[in-house]
Amino acid sequence: MELISLKKISQESKILLLKELGYSSDGEFVLDSEGKKVIDKYIDIPVRVDNMVIFPGSELILDDNELSIMKYMEEFEDDL
Amino acid sequence: MTSDPIKKLGEGIGKGATEGFLEYSQNKIKELIALFKEKKLRFIGDKETIENAKQTKNSGELAFYKDYIQDKELLFIVRLGLVLRRIEKNSEKLQNLKEKIRKKYNIKGLHIAYFAQNGVLNRYVAILLDDLDSPAKLSEIISNTLNNIEKHTIFVNWRYNKSQLVKESTTITSAHSPEIFIISGVGSASKIIKESEESLINMLNKYELQKFSKFSISTGNKEILFFKRLIS
Repeated sequence: MELISLKKISQESKILLLKELGYSSDGEFVLDSEGKKVIDKYIDIPVRVDNMVIFPGSELILDDNELSIMKYMEEFEDDL
Repeated sequence: MTSDPIKKLGEGIGKGATEGFLEYSQNKIKELIALFKEKKLRFIGDKETIENAKQTKNSGELAFYKDYIQDKELLFIVRLGLVLRRIEKNSEKLQNLKEKIRKKYNIKGLHIAYFAQNGVLNRYVAILLDDLDSPAKLSEIISNTLNNIEKHTIFVNWRYNKSQLVKESTTITSAHSPEIFIISGVGSASKIIKESEESLINMLNKYELQKFSKFSISTGNKEILFFKRLIS
């Protein structure tokens, strides 16, 4: 399993990645197919493009912080 | 495994015109998404965040608390406290995680995390072990203390002054009679605690300050006092 760090990737490429997955961005936040801000399901905050992670599990887009990642690891039993 | 995309993913990647970020071609993006959908890769953020999230999972400290804290959410907050300890020297990460903990678990959850972060929980358990009659009792006391942390601990911040700290300590110990009463502070709060120690000893006359070095925590920026209730 490869891990690719989005911190090294340009904003434009991140937005292209999102579009390929059916999402978009207003330049700051990740938006879903209806144009609504994607919310980190574990901490209930909108996810910023410059601080997002994308994990499998119905294409889970989260904020890049230890709490959300630990919760993801627990829920999906993924050791990353 | 974390890979450097420019080495691992080969063609289709160019350096961004500004700031040295990598730019992927449309074809490369499609290739990456195909791999993602096959669950062959994940898009992470900061490598350090992943390491911090992973490191505490198998720590001996957490393994110990797994045996005594049955509530999974409570145990998760204790684990977050261990992560806070791990990132203490990175003030930006520390502040960010504190905010996230507070957002999800309110101030009470943050205090529980502090309790683990500062080593208070470990010392608290060490004091309890002196009088313990069963593992089940230890489990019950730990859970009760964490779930009612405001009845057992004052987390002093810079807004406190000496008289306020002594008054609040008296109020809590009178109202709840905790077996062990803890006063914890970091930074400028540690100075307030040091200055209040003598008054606290005088006012909390049903308690004795645990002076043993294995219990007390007194460093340049942390001051934590443990008062044990006297047997009447």
